[in-house]
Amino acid sequence: MSSQKKVTKRELRQVFWRSFALQGAFNYERMQNLGYAYAMIPVIKKLYEKHDDQVKALNRHLEIFNTTPAVSTTIMGISAAMEEQNANDSNFDSNSINAVKASLMGPLAGIGDSLFWGTFRIIAAGIGVSLATQGNIFGPILFLILYNIPHLFLRIAGLRMGYRVGVNSLERIQKEGLMEKIMSMTTTVGLLVVGGMVATMLNITTPLEFDMNGAKVVVQDIFDQILPNALPLLGTFIVYGLMKRKVSITKLTLGIIVAGIFLHWIGLL
Amino acid sequence: MVAQAIMLGIIAGIGILDSRIFGVLMLERPLVTGFLVGLVLGDVQQGVLIGAQLELIWMGIAGIGAATPPDVVTGGVLGTAFAILSGQGAEVALVLAVPIAVLAQSLGVLVRIINTYFMHKADKFALKADFRGVTLMMWIPPILFFLSVFIPTFLAIILGAEQVKNLIEAVPETILGGLKVAGNLLPVVGFALLMDMLFSKKMAVFFFLGFLAASYTSLDITAIALFGACIAVVIYIVINNNNGNQGHQEKESYNNLTEGEIDFE
Repeated sequence: MSSQKKVTKRELRQVFWRSFALQGAFNYERMQNLGYAYAMIPVIKKLYEKHDDQVKALNRHLEIFNTTPAVSTTIMGISAAMEEQNANDSNFDSNSINAVKASLMGPLAGIGDSLFWGTFRIIAAGIGVSLATQGNIFGPILFLILYNIPHLFLRIAGLRMGYRVGVNSLERIQKEGLMEKIMSMTTTVGLLVVGGMVATMLNITTPLEFDMNGAKVVVQDIFDQILPNALPLLGTFIVYGLMKRKVSITKLTLGIIVAGIFLHWIGLL
Repeated sequence: MVAQAIMLGIIAGIGILDSRIFGVLMLERPLVTGFLVGLVLGDVQQGVLIGAQLELIWMGIAGIGAATPPDVVTGGVLGTAFAILSGQGAEVALVLAVPIAVLAQSLGVLVRIINTYFMHKADKFALKADFRGVTLMMWIPPILFFLSVFIPTFLAIILGAEQVKNLIEAVPETILGGLKVAGNLLPVVGFALLMDMLFSKKMAVFFFLGFLAASYTSLDITAIALFGACIAVVIYIVINNNNGNQGHQEKESYNNLTEGEIDFE
């Protein structure tokens, strides 16, 4: 019998670098499939020598795939571990490789989107923007650093963990509810930061004032005494409400431009 | 001017490739492209200021799932560049960038449609176990993505800078003031998009806590993020303790993500 086939650090490092190009050939039919297959090529080459086996493996990874790029390496690690098993064990069901990919890409995308888009990016951008609005050129640099530390860490750690512990660990994590705990913790921080940004980064005030028996009443001062930043808060919830009613982003954006000009013209804003 | 236009085109090209072949390092965000545009046009500070404003507007725009979002790259680069070149402030950038981003989006859609052709080609190479062929099919689409923003950016700067300046100077003062107000209102869309992703009745209290902390105290965003991390850990500990007696009861609160299907059209 042939000796055990094994994926080494070398291939995993190649998968890591190739994973960055995941969406390079994004298409509407099978989305990130070509990028995924491209990332798996070093593993396929290492594990399979026979032409037929290589064809089968390439076809497997050209199937539809779509997830948050940051978590893709975790799934690639698992795929590498399963391909390795498949190469060594003729009884291994190769269909399970894609079944696992398909079952992981949705849940991991949900977590990845909320972690990276919803939380890390927002915190990093919040800090970067607050510096940048003071004209500080380190705003953009700090933004990139703060975001990419957890991002690159997960790419490396996810690939390693995915390869080493394979499918089982993810199932265990899901059963123990660890995913939900991580999600609830990051959503907490994300919402706190978004709330803070609504208060500090929206410059919406009214110049409205009127005379009341000779006393000048400045409407903005009243707002500031009752609830500072009441107008930004109100504006955010109006737009959020419209979004919930499925008004499209483009319509909302154009609507706001028109509304801004109109409200300024009648003197409300 | 030609040299600057080429450099701005390259900035846009790098930006669009960020989510294609650079693994989404955030080089595409207006905060970063604004800084780079400022460098090229010799006004870094203005570039950073405008980039920050555009970042706020588009904070919530994300290419989640299969949707193709407005092209914040072309919008960001051209909006910032025109604002600097015409000597106008951030308001002008905002109002130019938003429609440009929507227009440029259609080119991104076109490239994604064309890519299907290369994907089918890759299938054929895969049948011959031709790794080189598959790799080649993988690397042609990024070139298309690059050109889809490089060419419009280059042409817009070469042909449009003067016209945009004249156009802006012809706009009456009331409209310009109104545009400034609109520019201040627009970031609301970004925040609402984030809410769509994170907000739920159960978690609403944290949004308000962050809002009130920033409104009534002088805490900045960094401080709120750090306090937030501590609060999250405290909650984690409390839930863990409770779990001992009550088991899981916190299950369903995070499926609101899939609900947040956003319609960009």
